[in-house]
Amino acid sequence: MTGDGARITVNGRTAPITEVPGDERLLDTVRWRLGLKGTKEGCRTGECGACTVLIDGQTALSCLTLTREIEGRAVTTIEGIPDAPFGRAVLDAFAEAGAFQCGYCTPGFVVALAGLLREEGRSAPLRQLLEELGANLCRCTGYAAIARAVELARARGP
Amino acid sequence: MASFHVSAPPTAEEAVRELASGAPGEVAVLAGGTDLLLDLDEGRARPARLVSLRNLPWRTVVWDGAELVVGSTLPLRALETVAGLGERHPALFEAVRAVGGVALRHRATLGGNLGRSAPASDLLPVLLALDAEVDLVGPGGARSLPVDRFLRASRETALGRGELIRAVRLPEPRPSAYLWQRVRPANDISQLSVAAAYSPSDRRWRVALGGVPPRPVLVPEASTPLDGPAPSPAAVAAGARRIAEHPALVSDRRASDEYRRGLVGVLYTRCVRAAARRAGAAA
Repeated sequence: MTGDGARITVNGRTAPITEVPGDERLLDTVRWRLGLKGTKEGCRTGECGACTVLIDGQTALSCLTLTREIEGRAVTTIEGIPDAPFGRAVLDAFAEAGAFQCGYCTPGFVVALAGLLREEGRSAPLRQLLEELGANLCRCTGYAAIARAVELARARGP
Repeated sequence: MASFHVSAPPTAEEAVRELASGAPGEVAVLAGGTDLLLDLDEGRARPARLVSLRNLPWRTVVWDGAELVVGSTLPLRALETVAGLGERHPALFEAVRAVGGVALRHRATLGGNLGRSAPASDLLPVLLALDAEVDLVGPGGARSLPVDRFLRASRETALGRGELIRAVRLPEPRPSAYLWQRVRPANDISQLSVAAAYSPSDRRWRVALGGVPPRPVLVPEASTPLDGPAPSPAAVAAGARRIAEHPALVSDRRASDEYRRGLVGVLYTRCVRAAARRAGAAA
């Protein structure tokens, strides 16, 4: 499985993955191999959303994604979010609403919301967006401010 | 976590050959991986090899006006966004939406739910109530099984050595509904669930229980009292009493038998009423 020129793109830059073993998670590839520490490890079982990234623009849990499974595809982590659709609007909305306490869940929330807005558009009902963000956990329980950020980001557009 | 090697064969024939060449437990099928990877992390399974289905052309969905054919590796999120799914197969739409969050559904698949046969799968009770057929391909060729015969127990299916799930077929649109109960709605697994569907072709109901060990089951004794697309309150009450006696309502780490027996009638009643409203709207 190595030495075959396999690669992925991360935040617009090509990353060879020929040395990546078949059992390595995308979460570990971006954090430890590429040094992009913005993506957080929470539960590592797909229940908290802290490790959310975009793969070809769609939200994905990097803890449950084998890096070699996404050969040739484009990954966006929180570090690349300012250049992604709705990315800037979501970042500004989180800042304006003060939608973080400890901040650990924030990258996951920001990436997940940008991905949702890209998929569903600003016309998606607020309730639906909030329901779908339910798979992201904030252990500080700062949900009221996060909900306010969702409202702001949705109003703002890409 | 023990390390493993992943291959991604370009054709079904090759995937079948690679799978068949391994002893059971030595090789496993990788679809979305959202359930399998947890077992690997916990050491509940220690395969040396995974055969990934990512290169197979099975991310398809075909609607011919009667039958819906879903390719086994189509991500659930793609199934959820198929136009008209919520009108034609409302229970399936509701069950897909019940699985994890959007990010998880971008990877999880119908084939994975079947092949992994988890008792708490939200999809399996609905596939039972909709009389789904499972298309398999293996060393001996292709065959199809009703989902009720495909499922055996927790983590046990009728899949033979080297066999793969290629597609799932739903024979007809059915007014239907799916309801579940969990500790946390967004990202827990179901403690108990009920699927109900009315078949316009044979004018009978199917009711299935999910979230129970060892596997989701059809409950014929809870569907026979239902008289037609708009069952009477007395008929629904009779069905609710019968389903509460089902032997699968036991205690396990997700819920107690007492809790499940108290809850099941409520889920059943609401589920049948929701499906009956849809049957009325379709008529």
